[in-house]
Amino acid sequence: MQSALKRPRLISIICILGFIWIVFSFPSVFSPSIKKMGDWYPALFGLIVASSFISYIGVWHMKRWGVQLFIITFFMKETLLILLEDLSYVGIAFSLFFLISMLFFYRRMDLNL
Amino acid sequence: MIVFGLLRESISFAINSLVGNKLRTFLSLLGITIGIFAIIIVFTVVDSLEQNLRKSVQSLGDDVVFVQKWPWTFGPNYPWWKYMNRPVPDYPELNQILEKCDGAQSAAFLASARITVKYKSSSIENVNINCASHQYDLVKNFEIADGRYFTEIESASGRPVAVIGDVLAKALFPNQNPIGESVKVNGAKVTVIGVFKKEGESILGGSVDTEVLVPINYARSLVDIRSEDLDPQILVRAKPGITNDDLIDELTGLMRSIRKLHPRSDDNFALNQTSLISTQFDSLFGVVGIVGWVIGGFSILVGGFGIANIMFVSVKERTNIIGIQKSLGAKNYFILSQFLFEAVFLSLIGGVIGLLIVFLLTLAIGDSIGMDVSLSRSNIILGFTISILIGVVSGFVPAYGASQLDPVEAIRSN
Repeated sequence: MQSALKRPRLISIICILGFIWIVFSFPSVFSPSIKKMGDWYPALFGLIVASSFISYIGVWHMKRWGVQLFIITFFMKETLLILLEDLSYVGIAFSLFFLISMLFFYRRMDLNL
Repeated sequence: MIVFGLLRESISFAINSLVGNKLRTFLSLLGITIGIFAIIIVFTVVDSLEQNLRKSVQSLGDDVVFVQKWPWTFGPNYPWWKYMNRPVPDYPELNQILEKCDGAQSAAFLASARITVKYKSSSIENVNINCASHQYDLVKNFEIADGRYFTEIESASGRPVAVIGDVLAKALFPNQNPIGESVKVNGAKVTVIGVFKKEGESILGGSVDTEVLVPINYARSLVDIRSEDLDPQILVRAKPGITNDDLIDELTGLMRSIRKLHPRSDDNFALNQTSLISTQFDSLFGVVGIVGWVIGGFSILVGGFGIANIMFVSVKERTNIIGIQKSLGAKNYFILSQFLFEAVFLSLIGGVIGLLIVFLLTLAIGDSIGMDVSLSRSNIILGFTISILIGVVSGFVPAYGASQLDPVEAIRSN
């Protein structure tokens, strides 16, 4: 596998934290509490978890599409949380910190897939 | 159009690869099948039980308060010896409730016993007989399919008339209309004036299908309605706009005054409502759901690892083919989608098989236990969601790795 661009330590930490979040979020896709919210909520939440996972892999490999996908996923996730009236300011703060950090290194990232 | 063509081609590559390694494909998707089966079967059973419970609770009446001797739920330090000496609700207490309770729309006295019902040579033992006062039809939710309910005169004078359940009617009168016929209840002749509409099995028991309903004033000649064995109770339905809590508050004061209880003494009656049953069952279903979620979650996790493993093997096996494809101009996303589709297909087939097994089981279970067990739309969506999600998550890393291979090095590999 090609890994021409050196990954900054901050990005590595962000990605590891992101992967941990994915591990903990994954079971909640099919948790009874999400299921009770409605028929399509597990599918929506699953889409967000899968997109987040792919975006972190992209960022891990220093790819710009990873950051772009992260931004899309961030808005999707927050919109869903607003609809569910379960908005967490701590969660938003973390996501924004991750996003700003990724954007800081955006120019050093690869344009290709 | 080119993108669609490429996608179609990558899907066909994926399918060919899966068909080419049948045993490997079968073993890999088995993990997902078991995982999806475990999760969806638990959710299906829990959902069906909840649905049946709600139906049963609704038939009891969710705006009805039951005045009884014993409470339906007990705390951890339950002083059962105090409850032993309580009196059972009495018929005269019903009249006082009907007279004085402002929040009550209707109220009825009910006592139940087990009896033998006979018609000519047919005899059914251990049938539940409900002995009820006239407003019972206003308190309990039921429908009469054939015939009618008691008139006020029949109830007041205690005429020997009965409304019987659908199952009972079919068993005693297989080829004739039961209306107007006389059955023997504990040896006494009772005329059938109505048949209840079929209700089906109730999760709480006590379905009207196998019951006989007679006026309480007639039942006095058959059984001792004051006996504790008959579980005498007063059912009170709240007026529209009056909550059960308001009705309970009013009934508490009223029952205390009827029984002339000292202000310092405890209540010697229990006011039960159906929400008590729902709450108890909700917590039970919650625990069962979580257990199923954990067990199914682990099965799916193992299935996901299996798919990821098989995808890594698949990439390794086809490394030189990937190299040739890339050297002939295949784009990275083509290679990526090829392997990703393979993983998603594998997982999706496993999920579909799991859902099919659940569907077949629901048909078998539903028929054998006589309860409505069905695979709901939400559970089907959940099954597909988990399958696709597992496919994407476990297949993306190997697929991305394959897409990033250097063509020259890939062709050289064995």
